[in-house]
Amino acid sequence: MIRKLSIWTAALFAAVLVVLLAVARTATPSAAQQPAAADQPQIDHGKVTFAQKCSHCHGPNMVNAGTVTPDLRTFPNDKERFTTTVKLGKNNRMPPWGDLLNDDEIADLWAYVSSRRKP
Amino acid sequence: MKRFALAAGLAILAPLGANAQTTEQLVKGATDTSNVVNYGMGYNLQRFSPLKQINKDNAKNLVPVWNYSLADDRSEESQPLVYQGVLYVTTHAATMAVDAKTGKQIWKTKVDYPAETPRIVCCGIINRGAAIFDGKLFRTTLDANVIALDAKTGKELWRQKTGDIKEGYSMTVAPLVADGVVITGISGAEFGTRGFIDGWDPATGKHLWRTNTVPSPDEPGGDTWKGDTWKLGGGSTWITGSFDPESNTVYWGIGNPGPFNAAVRPGDNLYTCSVLALDPKTGKMKWHFQFSPNNPFDYDAVAEMVLADMTVEGKPTKVLMNANRNGFFYVLDRTNGKLLAANPYVKVNWASGIDMKTGRPIETDVTKDAREGKKVTVYPSILGGKNWEPMSFNPQTGLAYANTLAFGGHYKSEPAEYKAGEWYVGMDLTDVWEWGDGPRGHLKAIDPMTGKTKWEVPSDIPRFSGVLSTAGGVVLSGQLTGEFEAFDADNGKKLWSFQTGSGIEGQPVTWEQDGVQYIAVTSGYGGVYSIFSGDERLANVPSGGSLWVFAVKN
Repeated sequence: MIRKLSIWTAALFAAVLVVLLAVARTATPSAAQQPAAADQPQIDHGKVTFAQKCSHCHGPNMVNAGTVTPDLRTFPNDKERFTTTVKLGKNNRMPPWGDLLNDDEIADLWAYVSSRRKP
Repeated sequence: MKRFALAAGLAILAPLGANAQTTEQLVKGATDTSNVVNYGMGYNLQRFSPLKQINKDNAKNLVPVWNYSLADDRSEESQPLVYQGVLYVTTHAATMAVDAKTGKQIWKTKVDYPAETPRIVCCGIINRGAAIFDGKLFRTTLDANVIALDAKTGKELWRQKTGDIKEGYSMTVAPLVADGVVITGISGAEFGTRGFIDGWDPATGKHLWRTNTVPSPDEPGGDTWKGDTWKLGGGSTWITGSFDPESNTVYWGIGNPGPFNAAVRPGDNLYTCSVLALDPKTGKMKWHFQFSPNNPFDYDAVAEMVLADMTVEGKPTKVLMNANRNGFFYVLDRTNGKLLAANPYVKVNWASGIDMKTGRPIETDVTKDAREGKKVTVYPSILGGKNWEPMSFNPQTGLAYANTLAFGGHYKSEPAEYKAGEWYVGMDLTDVWEWGDGPRGHLKAIDPMTGKTKWEVPSDIPRFSGVLSTAGGVVLSGQLTGEFEAFDADNGKKLWSFQTGSGIEGQPVTWEQDGVQYIAVTSGYGGVYSIFSGDERLANVPSGGSLWVFAVKN
């Protein structure tokens, strides 16, 4: 609960900051929604990449039982660990993808994984 | 005369030591109750045993005899072989020989493959078993090698590469040894590969022949592909074929075309979704029958081609039967490929029937719409009416016992862009399933000629295990939730159940040793349904592979 609250507080603070900056620059009221809107194409792209490269082990739309392969909806909020695992593979189970996926594609996958995180 | 005396002397000595095992023994595999020398419990792939010690009256007294850890937590789909008291079993990562009576390991040989390999394995990190011949074990590796091991020591004797993982080729199939030739198939039709079947010399590993399952433009059938589409045309061969020694013919099922998006590849796309009748010595095709021309729905036709002698319209007939992934149960005359019966055994909406003259499906608007790029709900789903898990045919009841699937799917084609070593399906993979409300699978007793169900046992989470039936009137199969179960072959009544600790995707076998009938099955899940369905009800079923052996307690 505390963690949830602090995330909300941080989000609210960020939103307020963006609004203030936006108002200062252009005074456009809709600018407050820009950060979320900018993330969506990244999430969408990540979703497609996931369907093509990851879903045959991690389940359609990341839904799986979490037994044979990890349930990525419970992956910790640790982008560095995610990026390293995707690039290099892990424990001789997760294959390395560093030669097929570039940094942007991995960042998009991370955006998608983050968007699916279980509360 | 001297020669004869020597041969007779050797025959007398044979039971005393582990002998190199012969063509004759492979041919008699279906009735050899003291060994399991063939994939499918016989060249006919019937998975039927004449043994009766375990029967419908005493199956309730089945107890575990031993358990052997496979030291692996992937899917365990390997069919064990048993020869002269030694049981041979495989995983993706090792080949093992175990004392069949005590469960004690005799040897274990690890299998290594590049860490990138799982990228191009569509449906579970698995191996389906070995073949045994002339003192050697033959198996395939996930990175598309065929290897031979010394059956006594596990030492590798030869190795041959069949394809490159960078191009999407992998192998999970158990080889077939027919007429002295080791025959193997290939996986990878979801990655823009071109399928084939290979023949190898068992002694040396020398490559004897390759039959491409997708013809080039100058080969027969080449005109069923447009432009260069044949080069990426799929047609995997990932399940072991059957063999009729009398006519010296191998029957091998061919997988789906690539990509799934059928608009990319106009034409019938021979020999995808077909069965081929082959000469084992040369790989030359005797006849073919295509079940699903230009198929959009991944109706792969690799699953077991079961051979039997049946009475059809009053005449004794040599048939081949197949519970096709497309939802129809086919019976063909195996001497010439003529269609004898084709009836739905599950819900089907992509075709209203099969034209008995041409053998072609009578397609519905669902298929037409799918080809035009519209989103459709199709039955069966891309996993089929039955997936790879092998059925059993009991010649005494005349019924086929099969684990069937009762759900549909959503299908929408997408543009397919080929990149070597990456998915090449051209289908929306974000919305694949139409589960419905009822059970997702049934163990069914099916009349081959009508497709009708004599009895069925439903399961909420579908079964993905092979089926074994015996002359004791028992049908054995496993659940993804771990239970290994026995049923009455006449009415489907459950006789016995045992929790094996992980989900079962294995292939049960039975044999008799020193007067005791044993049943073996691997436990350990992680195959196509468990990883690709998103069924969260499996969250409390642990992974972890092991081999169980059971017998009836006196």
